[in-house]
This record gives sequence, C-alpha cells and structure tokens, in this order.
Amino acid sequence: MILVVAEQRAGALNRASWEAVACAQQLASGEPIAILLPGGGDAAKTLADAGVGEVLTVQDAALASYTPDAQVAAVAAVIAQTTPRLVVMAHTYQARDYAPRLAARLRTPLVADVVAVKGSGAAATFLRPMFQGKLVAEVAPQGDGPAIVTCQIGAFRADGVTKGAPAAARALSVALDAPSRQTVEPPFQEARQAVDLGQAERIVAVGRGIKSQDQIAVAEKLAAAMGAEIAASRPICDNGWLPMDRQVGSSGQTVAPKLYVALGISGAIQHLVGMKGSRTIVAINKDADAPIFEVADYGIVGDLFDIVPAMTAEIEKQSH
Amino acid sequence: MARERETLDVDVLIVGGGPAGLSAAIRLSQLAKARGGEAPSIAVLEKAREAGAHLLSGAVLDLSALAELLPDYRALGAPLLTMVGRERVYFLTEHRAIRAPLIPPPLANHGNALVSLNQLGRWMAAQAEAAGIDLFTGFAGQEVLLDGQRVIGVRTGDRGRGKHGEEKSAFEPGVDIHAKVTIFCDGVRGNLTKQLRRTLALGQGREPEQFAIGIKELWEVAEGRIDTGTVMHTLGHPLRHEEFGGGFIYALPDRLVSLGLVVGLDYHDPLFDPHVAFNRFKRHPLIARLLDGGRLVRYGAKALPEGGWNTVPRVHADGALIAGDAGSFVNSVRLKGIHLAMRTGMLAAETAFEALQRGDTSAAALSSYQTRLDGSAVRKELEPVRNVHQAFGHGLVPGLLFAGAAMLTRGAWLGDLHGDAGHTRMRTLRWYYGIDLASPAASRDVPPDRVLTFDKVTNVHYAGTAHDEDQPAHLLVHTEVCTSICGTEYGHPCTRFCPANVYEIVRDASGAPRLQINASNCVHCKTCDIMDPYGVITWVPPEGGGGPQYTGM
Repeated sequence: MILVVAEQRAGALNRASWEAVACAQQLASGEPIAILLPGGGDAAKTLADAGVGEVLTVQDAALASYTPDAQVAAVAAVIAQTTPRLVVMAHTYQARDYAPRLAARLRTPLVADVVAVKGSGAAATFLRPMFQGKLVAEVAPQGDGPAIVTCQIGAFRADGVTKGAPAAARALSVALDAPSRQTVEPPFQEARQAVDLGQAERIVAVGRGIKSQDQIAVAEKLAAAMGAEIAASRPICDNGWLPMDRQVGSSGQTVAPKLYVALGISGAIQHLVGMKGSRTIVAINKDADAPIFEVADYGIVGDLFDIVPAMTAEIEKQSH
Repeated sequence: MARERETLDVDVLIVGGGPAGLSAAIRLSQLAKARGGEAPSIAVLEKAREAGAHLLSGAVLDLSALAELLPDYRALGAPLLTMVGRERVYFLTEHRAIRAPLIPPPLANHGNALVSLNQLGRWMAAQAEAAGIDLFTGFAGQEVLLDGQRVIGVRTGDRGRGKHGEEKSAFEPGVDIHAKVTIFCDGVRGNLTKQLRRTLALGQGREPEQFAIGIKELWEVAEGRIDTGTVMHTLGHPLRHEEFGGGFIYALPDRLVSLGLVVGLDYHDPLFDPHVAFNRFKRHPLIARLLDGGRLVRYGAKALPEGGWNTVPRVHADGALIAGDAGSFVNSVRLKGIHLAMRTGMLAAETAFEALQRGDTSAAALSSYQTRLDGSAVRKELEPVRNVHQAFGHGLVPGLLFAGAAMLTRGAWLGDLHGDAGHTRMRTLRWYYGIDLASPAASRDVPPDRVLTFDKVTNVHYAGTAHDEDQPAHLLVHTEVCTSICGTEYGHPCTRFCPANVYEIVRDASGAPRLQINASNCVHCKTCDIMDPYGVITWVPPEGGGGPQYTGM
C-alpha cells in the first residue's frame, strides 16, 4: 500500500496534495493507495469524493494547528498501523519542516524534492535535482522501512489523477505520544495579502501596448469573462498602473497557468522567463516581429483594442 | 518608531571588495601577522551579494603585483585561466582587417595571464577570509561620515525602503561603521570617492578625470575557431577617428571567448551609442566568423578610468586613503589596471598600518602613501604615459603618433597635455549635425538579429542583474532637464550611452517626453553619472546585494 499524506490549511486542501496523489498512482502497480489527512474535516470529503483511494483521518486537538511534533507523531502512528510500502507527500514548506524529522524518527530513507519517477512497483527509482538543478540524481531507497518521498511542486500533474467512485473516509484512533514542545503562533502573513499568480489557472497579462491606465479595463473585462487573474509586464507595474504583485517576469512572479493571454506584450526575455512554462500562450500584438510570437501557441497580429472586446463578447456569449 | 542606528568600530575600514580592497585587506593581515600582538580590526564592505559578482574586466592580468602580494599564488589555487599565447593587433575597416606587422610594445602580453576578474575576486576574498578578515557582502557604502575635514567612517545603505522611500515591514537602517582609517576602493567613479573629492577638493590642481566604457560579452564558440590563449586587439571600425577606443578578443579555455569594445566617454556625437557600436563590432567579418555557431553566455558593462597619472586626485586625507580605479590608477596604454589596483591597495595598507602603529592617522601622516606611490612601480609605469589619453582627445592619428613618441622618449616631455572632462566634449545636435532636430532617430542603428547581436534589454538579462523592484530609484535625476531642453539640445543621450536600457523616454498622449528610469536594469557601470552632458544624473548604491551577477566575466 502507498500512503499519501495530504495537507490542509484553514480547512482548505492544498492543491499540491493532488500532485502527490498523481505521483503515488504512477508508483502503484495495482497496489492500493490510501490518503491520510491529518486533522480531518471537510477536506477529507473532497478527497473521498474523488475516489482515488481510502481516506484516513486522524483527529486530535493537537492537530488543529500544525506543529512538527504533533504532525510527526500522528503520521508515524498511522504508518505503524497501516504499514505502507511508501509514503508520498508534496514538497511543501510544511513537508520540508517535518519530513526529515519523520524519516529520522522511523529510521527510513527520505527522498526529497522528487521531479520524476522511473518505473513502478518495488523496482521504481526516483529522480531528484542536485547542485541547484545542474545534475539529476537517480535514487533507489534501501532498507526495510517505508521510504518517504516528497514531490517537487509542479513536477506531477494534478489533472493527471485518475479518479474513481467515491471512497470512504475512515477516522483512525491514534494516541499522540507526547505533548507538542512547540507553541502555536498565528500563521505568518504578509502585511498585505499578495496575489499568488502561481496558483492561477488562467492569466490575462497586459504590457506597454495597453498605452494608458484607463485602458487596463479592456483587459480586466476579458479576464472577468474568462475567470482569469490579471497580470502585467514590468512597465505597467513600474508606472503604478497595476500593483507590483501582479508583475510576471524575472523580477516578478514566475507563472505556469493553463492559459496565458499576453496583450500588447513584446516579449522581452525578462518577461518570457516568467511565463514560458504556461501550457497555452495566446499573444496579441501589433508588431509581427515581437519576440512573444516565438513562444506563443496562438498569435494575432493586430490592434488589441479591436480584438480584445470582440473576444470578450464572444466568450460572454458562450458562457450564457 | 525610529529604530536605533547601529554602530561598529574598527581600526581599518575598506570600502569595496575588488582587487584594490582585497589586496589592502590581505596586506594588512600579513603585516599584523608579521608584527605579532593584537591584530587591528579590519572590515571590508562589498555591495555585491557575493564577492566578485560586480567585477568586470577583460582581463589580461600582469602577474607582478599578485606575485608580490601572495608569492605562492599558484599553490593557493589562483584562478589563472591560461597564459597569453598568440598575440594579434588589427586595424579594422568596415569590411577588412589589416594585421599589424608587429605588436606595439605596450600591447605585448607575453608572460601575462588571462583571468576572469569575478573568479579572481572571489578567490582573493577567500584568501582574505582565511586570514580572518570580515567581509561584509551585500552592504553598500552610502555616504562618507565626516567630522569636519576628517573622515571617520562610512554609513551603509538602509534596507527595506519602498519605492517612495517609506519604511517597509523589514526596514533596517544602515549601520555607521567608524574607523581610524578608511581605505576607499569603491572602483571607477565610486560614489563615496566622488563625495570625498567634492567635499575635500581632492581633484584640485589635477587634470579632469577621463573615462571610457567597456562593453563585454562572454561567448561559447564553435570548436576550432580560435586557439586558447590568443589575445587580439583592434583599432578602427566601428569607431571613427574622433572616437577613442578599440576592441578586444581573448580566447579562454573550454571554447569560451571574452570579447568587448572600449569607447572613450569623451565622444562628440550626441547620437553615438556604445552598445550599437559594440553590435557593429560584432558584425565585422573578423568577429562574426569567430562567433558564428556559438552562443552568448554573459553580458556586462563597466566604465573605466582612462585619464592616467595626471588625473589621479590627492589620495590621502585625514583618516582616508584612496586606491585602485577609484583613484584612476589604470594604464590606458597597456589596457591594464588590475595589477595597479592591487599594488595601490597594498601600499595603502602599508601606510594605514604604519599610521595606526604611530597612533597618527592625520592627512599629514597618511601622506606617506603618496611618497610610497612615487617610489613605486605605479608611478614608474604611469608617469611616462601620462599624456597619451589626452593626446587621443585630438583624434586617432595624433593620438597614435603621440603614443609612439611617448614610448620612444619614455615620456620626457616639456609640458603636460590638458584634457577636458569627457561629458563637456559632447556636442549639441545643432553643432554636430547642423540642424535642429526635434526628435532625432538613432541614425546608425541596425536592428539586432538576436543571434549575433542583441538589443539592450536582452543583453541585460545575460548580466543577471537583479534589484528589489520596490525600492527608491538609485539614479537621482533632475528630470526637468529631460522634458525641457535635453530633447532639442542633445536628443536624450542617456537613452544611448546607458548599456542597460535604464533610461527610456516615453511620450504621453500629447507627445510630451517623460523620462522613465528602469532602475532595476542597472549594471552599475556608472556611465550615466559620468557622461550626462548636464551633470544631472547621480548614481547612488541601491539596496545592498542588488546589481549584476557576473560569473566568469
């Protein structure tokens, strides 16, 4: 059995947990998968509805807010009860915090930041970057205990998860051995909640071609129709037309949405490095020689002020 | 709540972790070790995040100073890439390359080594740290702390200020570092040395400073294009006789080639663009053939002092010494300054050490630095060629003739040639072109092909330059000049002489120009601070750690 440890914060499931499930499905050659959600709650139902395997929960007051002590105690106890062959989780900040401790506690190997899996079943090996990504190591864990595997965010595709009939959720009773030595403080928050464009599935980005601040409304209408986040290249944020946390590129955020619509963005390399991982790129620009067309899947050479309103109207029509 | 500003007291503060500063630090620790007893406390400030990351040079290294500073430099693993092998000098016309029959003696580099100055700087920093010296990387010196005429230390830059100067959540005020002696090694047109020159009139009675800009790329070329160790220098194309400068091509191991163009920052044509000239240089058949099938690895630019011995300011003041490029210690005829930076750093260290021992760090006590310089190889090398750059101010042919004469006579010359500060030589559009151009187009530009030649923005990416975007602009510009007279007088030359596209003129709906400063593109070359014809641009350090990330340059 492969045990996936899912993660939640304030009752919401971390999207990366699905990536861990995808990894586990690739590793399982017919063997069952179980998903552990420490803390339980509504997110357990979301997991169970997807029908990817039995959902296990552990409820304890100590798990209401994350502490590494309680988390390690709970996951270690579940591993002892269920004896999985492998434990898989996403390489989140939380996993980075407690996975090494868990591995040390169980005296099992830890394969961190895995980017791909070769083969499946007992013969599977794991690929992980070394020396800041300059080399890729192929790792085969040794020893008796279940190896703990953490998957790099974005390395496995959440939408590649094979779903089935809704499964059951089972609450395990686990005694957490010792009181946590950590006191819980309110989770760290930036003073102003920054927009996490990295989580957006669709992005409409504007560049200098938008010409003036009032014209950004044109792009915002398209974004609203598409259910997309609005983003920008540097000159726009430099001018203060959009806040800095909307900036995509080498000095802003790096994004990889399913759909990236670039409006009036020429495609300086500094912008491209921040968005070229997008699944589908649509570019609208007046200049047919603009470098953005070199990375675009679909390109329209023309005036965005003609094209975008027409696109917006068409999308709105489709969704009615 | 105003936070308490921290202070730190040291015996010697060295500002700038380049070859001058690190040589000074290493020399000080050697002297302290030789004397025994309590070692003086030494701190080195470096604005780059990692030692060496802001250094840029060709670079051919004259090993004499290194051999004096660290005689067993080879055993210590000094990163010499290769020794100079074949040497060539060419005069370029637009399509042809005419090879000089012999190598002019100043350009003879036999026995010198090819290095990456980043690697050399990083290695020297490691030597200094091994000697127990505290190297504060990521800290820029913001201003000189003075007590009357006496330099008492340096204030480092604040961290965590927002775009409009407001304090962000992680705000930390700069630190005051107090020192008995401060050695300024802040490089070409260093902001602190500039402040010192102005406040203490250190340039009085000396010739005006002269500068050039060097634009450089590192390429990985196709197999078999050039032999490792080959050193090529070019004159002529793409520069005209009125423009001082030339090109260089150095073949490093592993098919890496360092190539660049150096242009005097005293050109007349307001529409001249050094980056465009660099692209024209690369299009020359001699260079284009070499680069064909290769790929760009790194890009960078840096100003360099060119004025020579007569432009060296007074390099000592109460509590202060100046070494390296900050003091214009560069031999522009040999195209070399690293060894002079090292040597002046060492002499400054010896002076500071002696002054500390005597307990007198006044200007009078520190003036023994000048005596040391006068008796050293620095003067011996620089004085004979003191007039050469100024002679090139009259054009290429008089310059070359003069350089030859200086060589033959070992500089025995009746008088000194005078030069003008480079930015005062830029002509107005009307003067140069004879017409009143309201909005001139860059006349000699050819669009880059993104294979051999690149636009500035793409090039900047290859400099690895990064700054926190949410910080005050570190280029202080009196922008009323931009909107009023600069367009018609000079056609906004800042948009051309900046090699990193920091300056852009954008026009509003009515067509009125506005200067947009893309400060985060800055590669810290200082050209704008030097060349702006109105003198309205001041370069100050951005938040520590920001700037280019040069590796292998």
